[in-house]
Amino acid sequence: MKLSYLLKTTAIALALSAGAAQADVKFGALYPFSGQLALLGEESARGLELAVEEINAAGGIQGEQIVLVRGDAVDNNQAIGEARRLTSLEGVKAIFGTYSSARSIAASQVTELAGIPYFELGAVAEEVTDRGMKYLFRTNPTADDMAKMVVEMVVEKVAAGIGKEPTELKIAIIHEDSSYGTSVAERQNVYAKEAGLNVVTTQAYPAATVDMSSLVLDLKNREVDIVFQTSYQNDSVLFLQQSNEAGFKPSAIIGGGGGYSMQPTADAVGHDVIEGVLDVDFTQYNVNTEYTPGLEQFVQAYQNKYGSAPRSGHSLNNYVGAKVILEALGKASDFEPDTIVETVKSIDIEPGVTAAGYGFKFGENNQNERAEMTGMQWQNGELVTVYPDSAAIVPIKYSE
Amino acid sequence: MNTFLQVLANGIMLGSLFAIVAVGLTLIFGIVKVVNFAHGEFLMVGMYLTYVLTTWMGIHPFATVILVAPALFLLGALTQRLLIQPLMSADDDHIQIFATVGLSTALINLALLVFGADIASTPTSGLRTPVEFGPVRFLSGQLVIFVASVAIVLALQIFLSRTQTGRAIRAVAQNRAAAQLMGINVNWIYILTFGIGAACVGVASVLIAPLYPTSSGIGTYFVLTAFVVVVLGGLGSIGGAFAGAMIIGLIDSFAGFYIGSDLREVAVFSVFLVILILKPSGLFSSRLNLSHVSP
Repeated sequence: MKLSYLLKTTAIALALSAGAAQADVKFGALYPFSGQLALLGEESARGLELAVEEINAAGGIQGEQIVLVRGDAVDNNQAIGEARRLTSLEGVKAIFGTYSSARSIAASQVTELAGIPYFELGAVAEEVTDRGMKYLFRTNPTADDMAKMVVEMVVEKVAAGIGKEPTELKIAIIHEDSSYGTSVAERQNVYAKEAGLNVVTTQAYPAATVDMSSLVLDLKNREVDIVFQTSYQNDSVLFLQQSNEAGFKPSAIIGGGGGYSMQPTADAVGHDVIEGVLDVDFTQYNVNTEYTPGLEQFVQAYQNKYGSAPRSGHSLNNYVGAKVILEALGKASDFEPDTIVETVKSIDIEPGVTAAGYGFKFGENNQNERAEMTGMQWQNGELVTVYPDSAAIVPIKYSE
Repeated sequence: MNTFLQVLANGIMLGSLFAIVAVGLTLIFGIVKVVNFAHGEFLMVGMYLTYVLTTWMGIHPFATVILVAPALFLLGALTQRLLIQPLMSADDDHIQIFATVGLSTALINLALLVFGADIASTPTSGLRTPVEFGPVRFLSGQLVIFVASVAIVLALQIFLSRTQTGRAIRAVAQNRAAAQLMGINVNWIYILTFGIGAACVGVASVLIAPLYPTSSGIGTYFVLTAFVVVVLGGLGSIGGAFAGAMIIGLIDSFAGFYIGSDLREVAVFSVFLVILILKPSGLFSSRLNLSHVSP
């Protein structure tokens, strides 16, 4: 063989292999980036983006840099269309998303059919994993976890704090009537029954309500001790304001995420009115960092990239879920769907290791069984973590 | 008994809230004969305007009515002149409906762009002070809404029956072609009516803003009930709108307390259906007015 021929082919081979080493691996980021859900959709996506940035800076996964391709799940139809585009046109190896349960449920139908993995990092409805899909995994805690923790907080802490036996308490469960409020309330009823709690009434109302005075009057008349509410911003504000004005002061009000976790709600209601109100939701930022190592670095990275503090716990939870999954994939042999599924199934992380606190192990229906919510309370106009004890930064305050 | 009276008071307050929002709608619906689906968004615009003016200028929310009512009047007049009037000669009446739906969507998304998705709260300025009338308790702001709704209804009635312009408006509502033959400039009447209807919503928004959280969706919370109230009372009947609003408010309050929160809307719409079946033109309308339908 001629020397020049040998040299040419060697040069070409080297160039090709160098090119392959620079190849990127594409993943889809499917969130509602516009429309009514845009605020928290964008917030959630930021968590994913920060995780990808961190991992790329450390060398990427399997020697490749991660590239995120955005898909806008502005409504359910769009979610399906975008999932199709990401899987067939863009050729992503997996999709991360999606904040909204409805969008997630719609889009994952496409990926399951195509045999592409779907990692849900933030939606809470049970139905997402209840369908028993092979390629869908959920990293975050669910509506069931939320209900479980609300009841647990009552039995373990709140009952004693207000000086009554759990079984003596009169509990009212009120909720907005879409799938979010209904699924949490349903699970709350199940867990309350298991714990032997007395639920005197369960009532739904439309989230788009302008008045809750008859509901407040009803609860006041029944002399309810504790109210569990699952609601968005508008109805949380209405309920808290109208209860205060009608002179209805239950011993405790426990919100299920939604409006109860948001600063604008506290500002609208008034810091003095919302003082002492409890809330169960994704891990937020006023938490014991011994339980959540890496949280402060995350907040700093968020501040550096986006110029403001994180607006909710959604970014944190998406960050943690994405980071765990991607780091695991970094140790896999390739990006084939079945390899990904096998790798993710073997993840085993204890609580107290991730920035959100909870551990990772995927069980039945590919749900992360170690995912947990945290219990929080509004104190002095700030939402602080009070439960479980390992995550709390201050104890729960009780009204006299 | 005390509880019953409180539920009654809540119902009356809720009714006057619906009345003050619906009275502008019945004017537009009854006279211009346009289904204004952007009516709720007019309320939203007014509420955001009140919020901005109150927080920037630090004045009492009620003082902003000097700016908000004329601004809303302008919005209504422009909507009629630029959006509805060109479509009035369209073959299909439904085109105007689509136009107002489009306006509604545009306004909602504009609000989302400018103010974001979080709620905005107009400072309460003492309007959330509970007031006790014997066994019954409500807010000072609610009392103002009640008084204002009665005042607006009376003022509009006087305007429509005693003034020349008011009579012209009623003439156009009764028979557009005949009114035109009588020398009334129908297009100007429509613009004026739309403007007045929107201005009424402007006043409503100023009164409501200190009591309810403002968001881009706030209009959608009110609009369906506003339409129910207007149809129940009879198209174009101001007094009917007031009565309809009171009925809906009372049913909502009583059903919410005695039956359950989940079934409030069922009760309201069931009564609505029954009344319409028995009296299709609404409670206070004498006959079905079809003069706007072209031959």
